Amino acid sequence: MLQSLFWSEISAAICLLSILLVPLAVAGLALTNNGLGKTRSAAHAMLASMCVVAVAALVYIAIGFSWEGFAGRSAHVAIIGGKPWDWIAAQPFFLRGLELNNSPASLAALLQMFTVGIAAMIPLGAVADRWRLGAICASTAVMSGWTYPLFAHWVWGGGWLSQLGAIYGLGHGFIDTGGAGTIHAVGGLTALAVVWIIGPRSGKYSDDGMPAGIPGHNLVHVVFGCILAWVGWIGLNNAGAMLFGGTPPAGLVLVGINTTLCAAGSALVAVIVTKIRFGRPDASISANGWMGGLVASSAATALISPAVAIMIGLVTGILVALSVECLEMYLRLDDPGGAVPSHAVAGLWGLLAAGIFASIRTGGAPGQWLAQLIGIATLIGFVLPMTYGLNWVLNRLIPYRVDSGGERQGMDLHELGAGAYPEFMVHSDDFIQR
Amino acid sequence: MKPIGFLLLLAGWFLTLAALEMLSAVTPRSIFVLAGVAIEILGLALVFRANLQTEAKD
Repeated sequence: MLQSLFWSEISAAICLLSILLVPLAVAGLALTNNGLGKTRSAAHAMLASMCVVAVAALVYIAIGFSWEGFAGRSAHVAIIGGKPWDWIAAQPFFLRGLELNNSPASLAALLQMFTVGIAAMIPLGAVADRWRLGAICASTAVMSGWTYPLFAHWVWGGGWLSQLGAIYGLGHGFIDTGGAGTIHAVGGLTALAVVWIIGPRSGKYSDDGMPAGIPGHNLVHVVFGCILAWVGWIGLNNAGAMLFGGTPPAGLVLVGINTTLCAAGSALVAVIVTKIRFGRPDASISANGWMGGLVASSAATALISPAVAIMIGLVTGILVALSVECLEMYLRLDDPGGAVPSHAVAGLWGLLAAGIFASIRTGGAPGQWLAQLIGIATLIGFVLPMTYGLNWVLNRLIPYRVDSGGERQGMDLHELGAGAYPEFMVHSDDFIQR
Repeated sequence: MKPIGFLLLLAGWFLTLAALEMLSAVTPRSIFVLAGVAIEILGLALVFRANLQTEAKD
């Protein structure tokens, strides 16, 4: 598909400008995670975000890109049943051999130096207030050096999922132009794995299993983070559509419109659902709805119509709002940042919706839904056990969870020796039961 | 129970891959892929259940 793209200097410049918006998505996600955590861990959350971005960028450029590669470059291919299965790229470490100019491969490396940070930052929100900084950096290194590049190669690097159309006749192969699966579902499923390993915050569940409502400490940060993320997401979806979907610059208007409509529909539905469920709109769940809409939009923004984008957003809002409640109430998953609903659940739904609706838009591609389903099955059946296993081993080597004294004291004082808000040091353990 | 859940996740994924490689007709291939996803959902349910029991003990 990339060969058919008219890759002029103007296309490269527009793609580069879009990529340079992506750090705003990183900043937005960091602010949202920060606001949804406790006061006494606010500085730790922001420092952890910065460390995650730093470790992710270093490790990805050092080794990650060599496993991921880019479509058309050298890779390890196994022949199974007479058909080629492209499993992993075979590129030199430290981007050696890659011309760092305006070529699509170099732009893809730049884009993913940022997006791997987004993927690694997603678990931070889920395990806020109890995950040690050293362990966060180790987990980030594993994700950006192995988990993310491996799946990204299968989808964006010419791997077997992207070849499902050419080899097995399944539509256009697995579609994920903006990273709903590659970035967000991988990050969200890693968040799920790490929450399983670390467990809930102290005081979250009573003896009879009822969850205590522990509100986020700064909802202004949360909502401002969502708005900042929106700008970054438009850049992300634009760049992804150009690099991995072959969308020409003229198609980017639709990408911007669909990204916004999907997020808007999802956030408004989350407001309505929480109003119906709790009597008043819940700001944090509504923000998760906005974030979930952005995530779901990433699967195929350039391939769906605006009406379909709204419909995908509406369903995302319902899914996110209900899954927040379901995970917290019935499955005892303490995820203060809403990472699992807004990244894993919304990402998987976005991928499925792309299979159902993108094929209609592109003139009917038989088997597209099956290609999407195989991609989703790979995320749940392979990526989740792998990321759980890797983090389980890491937890044995570098204990993830802070001790109970440190958790009570707060991550700021315990790990950094200073709080984020020294003038307003208020610690309340008297959480109101929801 | 948790290891069995993870094994079911992997088994479901292998079933989808086997369906892709061994079946060429659309209907049987689709049915086997859906069966693989169903097995994964069962595995996910087992892991969640095992996690619930661990949390209840703690």
